[in-house]
Amino acid sequence: MLANVGRYFRLLGHLARYTLSRELAFRGNFLVKVSVEVLWLGIMIAFYRTVFARTSNVAGWSEPDYFFFVGCYFALNGLVETLFFENCNEFTELVRTGDLDFLLLRPIDEQFLVSLRRIDWGTAPNVLMGAALMVIALVQKGWEFDLLRVATFFVTMACGTAIAYSFMLILTTFTVWMVRNQSLMEMWWMFSSLARYPKEIFSGRWAEPLGNFFTYIVPILVVSNVPANVMVRVFDPFMVVLTIVAAVVLLWLSRRFFQYALRSYRSASS
Amino acid sequence: MTPPDGLAAPSAPAPSSAATLAVEPLPRHAPPRGPIATLKKHTKILRVSLSERMTYRSDFLLGTILRFLPLVTTILLWKSIYESSGASELAGFRYREMIAYLLLTHISRMFSSMPGLAAGIARDIREGTLKRYLIQPVDMIAYLLTYRVAHKLAYITMSIIPYVALFVVCRGYFDGIPDALTLAAYALSLVLSFLVGFYFEASVGMVGFWFLEVTSLLYIVMTLNFFISGHMLPLDLLPSPWSTILKALPFQYMAYFPAVVFLRKITGWNLVLHLLLELTWAVVFMVLSRGLYRLGLKRYSAYGG
Repeated sequence: MLANVGRYFRLLGHLARYTLSRELAFRGNFLVKVSVEVLWLGIMIAFYRTVFARTSNVAGWSEPDYFFFVGCYFALNGLVETLFFENCNEFTELVRTGDLDFLLLRPIDEQFLVSLRRIDWGTAPNVLMGAALMVIALVQKGWEFDLLRVATFFVTMACGTAIAYSFMLILTTFTVWMVRNQSLMEMWWMFSSLARYPKEIFSGRWAEPLGNFFTYIVPILVVSNVPANVMVRVFDPFMVVLTIVAAVVLLWLSRRFFQYALRSYRSASS
Repeated sequence: MTPPDGLAAPSAPAPSSAATLAVEPLPRHAPPRGPIATLKKHTKILRVSLSERMTYRSDFLLGTILRFLPLVTTILLWKSIYESSGASELAGFRYREMIAYLLLTHISRMFSSMPGLAAGIARDIREGTLKRYLIQPVDMIAYLLTYRVAHKLAYITMSIIPYVALFVVCRGYFDGIPDALTLAAYALSLVLSFLVGFYFEASVGMVGFWFLEVTSLLYIVMTLNFFISGHMLPLDLLPSPWSTILKALPFQYMAYFPAVVFLRKITGWNLVLHLLLELTWAVVFMVLSRGLYRLGLKRYSAYGG
């Protein structure tokens, strides 16, 4: 078992190195890709600076806290996009053309191969940019170091990534039946928009149940909320446990769903 | 991370028009000329493109349902912003107007966004498939325009039910339906925003004649456009030099302008002036795209088999 895990990590390392050398063959393109991400972060910062010029807090989040949240979301999203997004997006094409056959024939776990074949290095700097934003926010806030918070932050970040990945895999898996799931990128964008804001904005008659639904039933809201809260706001052990449990359950569920879907895969011969 | 419009472009390039164009039976001898023949030709392009768009309905439906999630979060975010700030008005927008504005920019974008247009043109140039426009009696820009009209017609008809439902649910954010004159101006501003969007993207796509790889440039343009067109927030909210600068640029016509027309924030001669300006920008981009196309063809070397 342990040897197996080691083998998969080694494989991931090789894949990462291979995709990096591919990426660096087109350095100009790589640089432009990174600058798009910088631009996007700039737009988000401009947006929230504009907002915070008119108010001192949003839903109880002060400006530094909110920017920590933005950085956290940006880093987490960057991680998900680097590792899984391109792969999931390509899955559609694999199903449509029948090229998925080649992946299924390999003596490697098919979910691993489908989800991690290509590392998209273009979005990897997002993790650093998000981290930089988080550090700046912490300095502005005058945050005091707390080992427990930092450790829990990293654990919940990992869980958040796992949850986001599971949802993405489930969305991707629908491709097997729909064949053309061309708006997956769009769908992911829309779905993940739920994780983009603090949970506290879900207040009011109809919004509160909605917020609870996306926290406890379809826990997409915990993805960036819990790590950010753990670090700069209330440390709620219940939410931390919930996030860990959600990550485990969703990983298992999405894997089952993926394997179930593969049984309906009918290839496509020319 | 990139906004949806920007992302949609390279992943879903305008469904290749090669197939649809090939369906046209071409007469063996000289094709009929004249305005009626042209109109007939373009009606056919419209019909074929329409049925192509309707093929994958389940994909489309799921997309439409999910499309409303960001709307919900946007409304909630602005609600919190207004509640936290304690102000009843931000940059001249009351809370209800702000939500109405953000809903209306979706309608603007529905007309002005052109996913895959520029990427499709650049691909045609790069792969040499552009030559099908050169050897067939159809003008590329006119063909793409008709194709896009069909695309938009299909899209708008299929989105009408969810959008009507949305506006009925959100009717509380609006101060009733504006008068007929405002509605007419609004409709005109939307049609013009379609033209501005189309010719702007077409011009960007033509850059492909000079640079082989423009997808990344497109990403930058689309990302920037998302913000400076006023899709994320009314341009008035930005600090002083920026709001003036952005309101002088053509991008505002792709989201901001139609929305404020509907909200009656621009009225009277100012409205007429801006509609004329919008028309001017459409013409400018039309001339630009045609000019770049003509210049580009001189460089074009038809790669590919």
